[in-house]
Amino acid sequence: MANRSRSPQRRKHAPRASRASSWAVAAVGIAIALALAYGGYLAWSVGNEFEGRRWDLPAQVYAAPLELYPGRALAPEALVAELKRLGYREDPRLPGPGTYRVGLDRMELSTRSFEYGGDSEPARLIALTFGGGRIAAVRDASGAAVAIARLNPLLIGSLFPAHGEDRIIVTPDEIPPLLPATLIAVEDRRFERHHGIDLRAMVRAMLVNITSGEIRQGASTLTQQLVRSYFLSNERTWWRKLREVFMAMALELRYDKDDLMHAYVNEVYLGQDGARAVHGFGLASQYYFGKPLGELELNELALLVAEVRGPAYYDPYRHADRARERRNLVLQEMLDNHLVDAAAAKQAAAAPLGVQPTTRGAMQTAFLGLVRRQLRADYAADDLERKGLKVYSTLDPAVQSAAERSLADGIESFGAKSEQLDGAVVVTSPQTGEVRALVGGRRLGFDGFNRALDARRQIGSLIKPAVYLAALESGRYTLASIVDDAPIDVPLDNGDIWSPHNFDNEAHGSVPLVRALAESLNMATVRVGLDVGLEPISNALQRLGLDTKPNLYPSMLLGALTLTPLEVAQIYNTLANGGFRVPLRAVRSVASDDGELLQRYKLKIEQAADPATVYTIDQALVEVMQRGTGKTVRRALPADVTLAGKTGTSDDLRDSWFAGFSNDHLVVTWLGADDNQPIGLTGSAGAGRIWAATMGSLESRSYSAPQPASLTGAWIDYDTGEPVASRCENAVLVPVPTTARLPRSFGCHGEPLGLGARLKRLLKDAAAE
Amino acid sequence: MASEGLRLARAIVLFCAFAASGCSVLGAGPTARGSSATIGGAGSASAPEEARAQNDASAASSALLAQSRTERAAGQYAAASASAERALRIDPNNPSVWLELGEIELAMGDAAQAATMARKALTLAGSDSVVEARAERLLRDAAR
Repeated sequence: MANRSRSPQRRKHAPRASRASSWAVAAVGIAIALALAYGGYLAWSVGNEFEGRRWDLPAQVYAAPLELYPGRALAPEALVAELKRLGYREDPRLPGPGTYRVGLDRMELSTRSFEYGGDSEPARLIALTFGGGRIAAVRDASGAAVAIARLNPLLIGSLFPAHGEDRIIVTPDEIPPLLPATLIAVEDRRFERHHGIDLRAMVRAMLVNITSGEIRQGASTLTQQLVRSYFLSNERTWWRKLREVFMAMALELRYDKDDLMHAYVNEVYLGQDGARAVHGFGLASQYYFGKPLGELELNELALLVAEVRGPAYYDPYRHADRARERRNLVLQEMLDNHLVDAAAAKQAAAAPLGVQPTTRGAMQTAFLGLVRRQLRADYAADDLERKGLKVYSTLDPAVQSAAERSLADGIESFGAKSEQLDGAVVVTSPQTGEVRALVGGRRLGFDGFNRALDARRQIGSLIKPAVYLAALESGRYTLASIVDDAPIDVPLDNGDIWSPHNFDNEAHGSVPLVRALAESLNMATVRVGLDVGLEPISNALQRLGLDTKPNLYPSMLLGALTLTPLEVAQIYNTLANGGFRVPLRAVRSVASDDGELLQRYKLKIEQAADPATVYTIDQALVEVMQRGTGKTVRRALPADVTLAGKTGTSDDLRDSWFAGFSNDHLVVTWLGADDNQPIGLTGSAGAGRIWAATMGSLESRSYSAPQPASLTGAWIDYDTGEPVASRCENAVLVPVPTTARLPRSFGCHGEPLGLGARLKRLLKDAAAE
Repeated sequence: MASEGLRLARAIVLFCAFAASGCSVLGAGPTARGSSATIGGAGSASAPEEARAQNDASAASSALLAQSRTERAAGQYAAASASAERALRIDPNNPSVWLELGEIELAMGDAAQAATMARKALTLAGSDSVVEARAERLLRDAAR
């Protein structure tokens, strides 16, 4: 049943009786014979189609599992949010997997068993204690300390095909017995006794249909519903109805009721999530409630059965009242058929619908786009959409939701401007290259233009670290080198003269390299860049991770090249990882539908540059945040956390970028208009705000790296680059090669002091302590 | 309250120490800025709490590293590298984790990758001579 286009819809029309008008008797005989033959053919083909009974199963994509270990920064509320995402239920009795209870600075979980990339984790009881916003201890049921435990990974979506059908298959033992019993009670009371059709119900329905002049839904048995969904198109004609009857009877001849019920539970259409059609109770349970079928509460199970009758009409998101009414009708039927007791039914009927937020199901579409892209190299689309693969991704649901919120709220905060604005956010773990979150636009769940992957925009000053990296690599510059930020005319090949100027339209004169980068001075950068040469700069960019060679125009020095946010993330990730390039990954591993590990995407690193040189650039990027263009962005975050970053603003304020990192996260944000109109926001005012909001919501430690032995610190005056004493007001410590032999000074602003004056000042300072 | 004389003496000692050390204070490097504070909800934790948290987290990564070594010894390289990567996610600045990853790569026959991992470990080693020696050994083995 792999290919639906081969279903038995392709057949000749019945012989026309008119051809044998004078041979009435013979015709009737022929007709009966044909009907029998046709019935036989249907029985044969339906049986064949059904025999394998394999659905096209789109690959299921899971987020990274939440790791729980002592010392992890995780507040109890954050854990509760994660548990809710996973469909855990708070229940002080901890009745089974998927439940938790909360105490004072303490939580106990009954975890689910799960497979993860070839490993399997058993269900167990764990107790967590908290202190200072961290997990203080993890213990098992016997009270023994547990070094590390993890929760089942969140199912974030699937790689469903263009026709949109998505499902999760459940095995017979995963189906709670109450479900088939309820389906029978509500949809087909004589299911256990009939032979595929319920004649009594059909006659009754036929009368209704004849009087109303059209075919309405009504008397279908579960078998007929199965046939209709499995084999037939959606048209409502007498002819289709006839085939449905034949096929249902044919199925009943060959299969027992349990098989048919199992197929029904996996086949039936239960909802629509954008382009994705939700089929089967397994997926519906995840889609509506975010948990496995076996853990559904009575009211939840009843709602799913209610949806059978018409997921659009009884859509719990759009028509909550209708959905509730029908759910309660289902509960009443359950009570009438003695499937539940009155107290339980009453309690369930009073419960809210309990469906998870509607954006949940579709929120990670941008990330799923990246998953598809990574897997495309190794898997045919057909395999991804049909073979039921399990894809273990790198997504961190908490980071994803923080990034989404930061972008949407950030854009909102620009008021009147926000109308034309859209943006993208990429979050990675620098050392592993794992993509933690990817937001492709402000509208969540909108499966359209994925800006994180596809918006190719001018990067502006984001290119400057590469310019200065090449400058340091040339051996002719250090961060303490003095460069001239003065007007410059660059003759171009076409005869024009290019005269770049600074954002503030001022010339800053002689400045140290560290300030030129921190304040993103254009004229100084162009001077350095032309001195170093475009080729080495383009080479540095490519080593950092750019996979195409940029055009070598002087305007490249100020970022006149277009990149996507993901490409920018790749380049900055190498800086954040100390000069080691890690291909960004969205997928850790892929397993087959029965859990066997098929492929693991291992961590691979390559050295892109000398670690000491990258360390030096990173320190300059810290200065961007301390004193330069990132200063205002920095102020929005705790002062005791060290961060490195860079702003980017393209011509006429069309693009606003911010790229920066802590120890644990690299965050790249972009804002712009889809039609490339100016948005009137600089890198720090626009994307910087989104960046700060995103970074501020992450559990992220200070950027820090040991200083390489080949470097030493030098105190210079930040404005002028002159050597000064560390106590001076404007002194900044920059790493320089130990071989650089910088002059030293114990004075401020380069004023040399004699030994006597020096001693006097020191004594004065010490006395003032 | 210290007397005037004592204060002067302290200042002189301070000056002498400063002068004698040349400008060693310059060598301290800008990393001194880095604190172990985090941005999120745990930012309010006190310094001792931070230090303890770091130790605890190392316990988790140590457990995973031990698991990785056991798996490596049993020739289960895929499992070993999965465990080591899990440790790396928790403890990305720990050079021992990078060395473990490099040693797995070498066992699997990827000498170039092993050497790169060793170089990465060296950038994180600081003044840890044990780590340094292990990294140098891995580099030598990878060059063979």
